Amino acid sequence: MGGEAARRFLPLGDVSLVEVRTCLIVDDSRIIRKVARRIVEGLGFEVDEAADGVEALTHCGGLMPDVILLDWNMPVMDGMGFLKRLREQPGGDRPKVLFCTIETAPERIAEALGAGADDYVMKPFDGEILQSKLSEVGAV
Amino acid sequence: MTQDDFDRLQGLLASRAGFRLGRDRIHLAEHRLAPVARREGFDSVDAMLQTLWVKPVASLGWAVIEAMLNPETWFRRDRAVFDTFAGELLPAISRVRPGGRVQVWSAGCSTGQEAYSLAMGALSAGVTADIVATDLSQRAIDKARSGLFSAFEIQRGLSARTMLDWFEPAEDAWSAVPRLKDAVRFARHNLLDAPTDGARFDVILCRNVLADVDPAQRGQIVDHLERRLMDDGVLILGAEERIEGDTMAFRAVGGRKGLYVKAPSALSRAA
Ligand SMILES: C[S@@+](CC[C@H](N)C(=O)[O-])C[C@H]1O[C@@H](n2cnc3c(N)ncnc32)[C@H](O)[C@@H]1O
Repeated sequence: MGGEAARRFLPLGDVSLVEVRTCLIVDDSRIIRKVARRIVEGLGFEVDEAADGVEALTHCGGLMPDVILLDWNMPVMDGMGFLKRLREQPGGDRPKVLFCTIETAPERIAEALGAGADDYVMKPFDGEILQSKLSEVGAV
Repeated sequence: MTQDDFDRLQGLLASRAGFRLGRDRIHLAEHRLAPVARREGFDSVDAMLQTLWVKPVASLGWAVIEAMLNPETWFRRDRAVFDTFAGELLPAISRVRPGGRVQVWSAGCSTGQEAYSLAMGALSAGVTADIVATDLSQRAIDKARSGLFSAFEIQRGLSARTMLDWFEPAEDAWSAVPRLKDAVRFARHNLLDAPTDGARFDVILCRNVLADVDPAQRGQIVDHLERRLMDDGVLILGAEERIEGDTMAFRAVGGRKGLYVKAPSALSRAA
């Protein structure tokens, strides 16, 4: 494996000893979680998944991630419900939360930002979009 | 496409656009030229090129050249430079210009993301800036002028907040609001062409253009930029680009990636 390939497949390289950035992907679609995971891992994040807001809250109670990619419509507890409760938790203001949904109406986007999301991604998205969004909120 | 066709294509791009088409790009050339051939009514890329070599009609030649240029761009690319532009350069230059007006040129603007990023910065900073944006590609200019961006394009580099502030949904795209659209003037221009009028700029951006230019022609383009730049103006290249090897007329600004000012020897040459 050449140096270039090695860097791509081992994105953390030697920095992993210093600091591991973590990302929680919250989406009820397994396929979306898988696609998002591939992208975010490519950016050097360690990834966990949750299928709804309740699962995500439980996860955050144990370990606060650096970044959360959050779907809006989910069973049990939706993205909005999760976000409000997350921000009330101790340390819950720290994760950068990016809503990732198919909603594209400006009012809905504004509503999500008003509820405390750091940014908003319209699906479908790709690695370039996610990377630029994450660097815009200062997470990469 | 034969090797001979490809060699001629390379020659065409180098002489007309200063563009260096890598020797390994023959498949890319076929891929990019196929839609041009279709659009121009030819059965195949080969047929189009044969016609072009025999009867070099300008419009067909430029359509072929445009298709081979590298249009990649996104909003607020190398973010830091847009903060420097709006937060430091614009206020400082505006203070010493009549009426506070700052002249800005986005040279090699592709589909306009760079120019609109500058305009958002200037409008937010409350500085009056005349922003001109040019590219060799007419198709890129037409798209830039439309102010329309797909969901992919609009999200690459812009936060959702900024997107909502400056764009509104239009069918399945996002359209620049009139105030933003009106802040940029787009025109077609070849950087190989020497200046023919006295227009001068306080800030010139020529980012990620020279990287693809034939080394033999970089000096010529940089010279043209120099003649268009005010003595106390700033030239902005891509964050990783350097021109020390191409010119004596500029020197890099320490600690500011991609920023250049005129070297003392180049000052007021034209005055
Ligand atoms: C890679 S894009 C860069 C766009 C933008 N400046 C940025 O940094 O994101 C390069 C652009 O330069 C344009 N270009 C290449 N050769 C040119 C020339 N000779 N005159 C004017 N524009 C040229 C191409 O058409 C293309 O749109």
